[in-house]
Amino acid sequence: MRFIQSFLIILITFSSLVFSQSPSQSNEGSVRIVQLLRQENSTRRYPDALPSLLKMLNEQSNARFDTDPLFINTLTDERLLENPILYINCDEQPNLEFPQEERDALRRYMEQGGFIYLDAGIKASFLGQDLGHSYAAWEERPEVKELFSKILPEKTFIPLGRDHDLFRTFFTGLPKNKDLEIQTEQKRLPETVLSFVEREKWPQATYSFVGIKVKGRLACVASPICAMGWGRDEFGAWIPPISFRVRESAENFDQNLKLASFSGGTYEVTREDGLKDIIYSENGQRPLWVQEPNGKWRIFKYYSGEEISNYAHAFYSRLGMNVFLYALLN
Amino acid sequence: MDYQEAIGVKMIFRIFLFSSFAFLFELSAQVPISPSEVIPNADSDVGDQNTTIAIAPPPARSSEEKTIERAQEGLKSAEVGSRVGAAKLLGKYRSIKTSILLISALDDESALVRRAAMVSIAEHASNGFPVYDKALAEKIYSKLGDPDVEVRREVSTMIPRIISPMRRSGMELIEINGRKVYRSVSSAMRPDLYKMTQDAFLDKDAIVRQNVLKYHTYLSVPLPLLSLEKLLSDSDLGVLLTALDRISSSASQPRIVNRVKALSKHANKGIRLKVVAVARNANSYHSDYRGILREMTKDSDPEVLSMAAVELARFGERVPGKVVEQIKNFLLGVNGLSTQVTTILYTVSSLGVDGAEIYKALTEHSSSQIRAIAWQRFINLSGGWRDSSVWLPATKDPDPKVRKVVLNGLRGQSNNLSEKQLGVLVESGFSDVRIFAAQSLLDATQSTVESLGFDLLIDEDTIVRSTTIRAMSARRVPGWLTIMKRSLLDTDYVIQRSAMDGLLGDRKEGVPVLIDYISKNPQSRISNLAKIELSKIGVQP
Repeated sequence: MRFIQSFLIILITFSSLVFSQSPSQSNEGSVRIVQLLRQENSTRRYPDALPSLLKMLNEQSNARFDTDPLFINTLTDERLLENPILYINCDEQPNLEFPQEERDALRRYMEQGGFIYLDAGIKASFLGQDLGHSYAAWEERPEVKELFSKILPEKTFIPLGRDHDLFRTFFTGLPKNKDLEIQTEQKRLPETVLSFVEREKWPQATYSFVGIKVKGRLACVASPICAMGWGRDEFGAWIPPISFRVRESAENFDQNLKLASFSGGTYEVTREDGLKDIIYSENGQRPLWVQEPNGKWRIFKYYSGEEISNYAHAFYSRLGMNVFLYALLN
Repeated sequence: MDYQEAIGVKMIFRIFLFSSFAFLFELSAQVPISPSEVIPNADSDVGDQNTTIAIAPPPARSSEEKTIERAQEGLKSAEVGSRVGAAKLLGKYRSIKTSILLISALDDESALVRRAAMVSIAEHASNGFPVYDKALAEKIYSKLGDPDVEVRREVSTMIPRIISPMRRSGMELIEINGRKVYRSVSSAMRPDLYKMTQDAFLDKDAIVRQNVLKYHTYLSVPLPLLSLEKLLSDSDLGVLLTALDRISSSASQPRIVNRVKALSKHANKGIRLKVVAVARNANSYHSDYRGILREMTKDSDPEVLSMAAVELARFGERVPGKVVEQIKNFLLGVNGLSTQVTTILYTVSSLGVDGAEIYKALTEHSSSQIRAIAWQRFINLSGGWRDSSVWLPATKDPDPKVRKVVLNGLRGQSNNLSEKQLGVLVESGFSDVRIFAAQSLLDATQSTVESLGFDLLIDEDTIVRSTTIRAMSARRVPGWLTIMKRSLLDTDYVIQRSAMDGLLGDRKEGVPVLIDYISKNPQSRISNLAKIELSKIGVQP
């Protein structure tokens, strides 16, 4: 199976050149990712992320990516049409308001076979300006919705099912000890965390993605921020550290959390099933707990540490690689 | 009084203090519930006009005191689940009381409760409410010896947050035989905790080992040589990388040098790259580190080999030609700039003449970022800023950023370009190069200006034309007044402005031409500005 995938990836790598009218942009047959940076001198959130991910892709698959993303600051840049994948970290843009000509260019790009990955294109409202958090909401952020209602007014973002090919293009399943390069007997995560991750947070290595199809092809996907999990330093250690937010239950929580002292506000967040979770959060603090539509109350607990960070990085990197390889294969 | 006795007395006193605290909180919790907690909300009506459905009001929430009091009761429950729930909930309320309750739960017989309590204590700390009391911090830290691995991991992760109170010195009041005695408290770690830390260097769990290794210097607990030696043979990559970071204090020990030497052949490339960095930094402590680097120039991975070679070159060692060739091939083959490639790319300079050859080869790399660095370094190392045969090819690079780097370098030099050299620039298809050519007219010979200036004056690019006009007015080439006069009639404001500035610089001949233009074209946009500029130099048009 892995061989067939690798073969397909080689095939697509070469065929992707057909998309490129000017192969000089890419490095001798390697695929170059275009990255939108509307303000070149703005503070980058995760500057090492995409180059690290592309390097991992080159090391772990037969695909060949140029590890230097090609930065453009406007969507009318003609080089966009010469490369098949556009990556946009929505948190790195000053805003997501584009003039008509750029919106037209984006539509043209998708219609001509381009693939757009909107990282941080999903962002739960309660996160506010906090850029260091991801949260698995199941709808695109309002600015993305507004933008695409002008680009493709006849289309809407649809949640990607857990069985979508994107989640198993190359890597399947959550990282095991071997993938994490740790001893077989070593606990990869605290028990409650592992159980939540496997059953709810990232079941079968899936995540909350929404997408839009153009001419029957998935042409654009949006996800909560994933780039924070792609960076490695020069020795291969993951950067930066990542923490987990986990929902936990305990005896009598349905009653206790309902009655517990609370002086903040509530936020509704769309779930995978379309229903709404009610998040309880106090000003300036991380969310406290959640009331789920089935009447269940659970508390948010926060875990940090080497094993948490390593696991999260391994997950986000495998997911990121799956997304880029899916983009090539489709 | 010996040490054991003092500890005993101190513990009794702390238990007494703790009990007093708990009693005070019991009292304070017995306050009436505020009216808002007992008065239900008004009924709400929903539905159409014909039906009125009364829905139950949401239950009133407790006060924080009441919530904590309930959780305190929960911690005493016989049910593990209730104790776990209470410990989790207490993490949401930051106060001295909740901290003390959670710390007391660290001795629970159930590992699940201890885990939940520790996670909640960490939650307090990360929300800006760390424990300040030394004894409480020590109690938390003592769980580094907990039989449960999750508890030990959580404590070891928390070390940076509990260091400050643990290392606090001061005074304490103790009671010895009924007599109250003040005595100083040292900032040093308690001997039992010290021993526990030393044991934790070799904890069964890799995450605990790594955390203790990472933070032991903050705790002022030295890493024993034997432990370091064992850790440098660790099976966990994270532990190995951290241990390599910690060799400085023992870098001169032959046993450590030998371990580093062994790691220079480790299967993991990241570890080998780390060894290069460690050997470079430890070079002053033992001569064998240089030997390790030399050996690593034979590494099977071109990146590791290149890193080792450039570090040797930094020490002034001559790198063999074969290795130089391998570095060149590695850099030519990379897909773009990464942190490692950037490091190697910049340190290639230390290879001297060989480095210049590598940079020359890289000026044809497919990555524009690499070409930009390569051109800049190549011209620097070969003294090429004054030799147009070196830098002229860079002006033909298709990437504007590469050309910009080179042209900016040239702007800082006095070039005195010949007519032939300038001719190449004038014929360039890139406007930035032609702009540079126009700027270079300022240094060129009079005959060159006369020969090439007119080609630039009819350039399609406005900036090229305006730059040429400025250069020609500055050089006062024959017929320059006519050029300025005609340029004032140009439809492009930028051209007019350049001509005006040129004329303003010559009061004898230029200013009269400008005044004449204003009198004939009083409504022109540039005339208004020219009047203002003339009045500034005391001329009334």
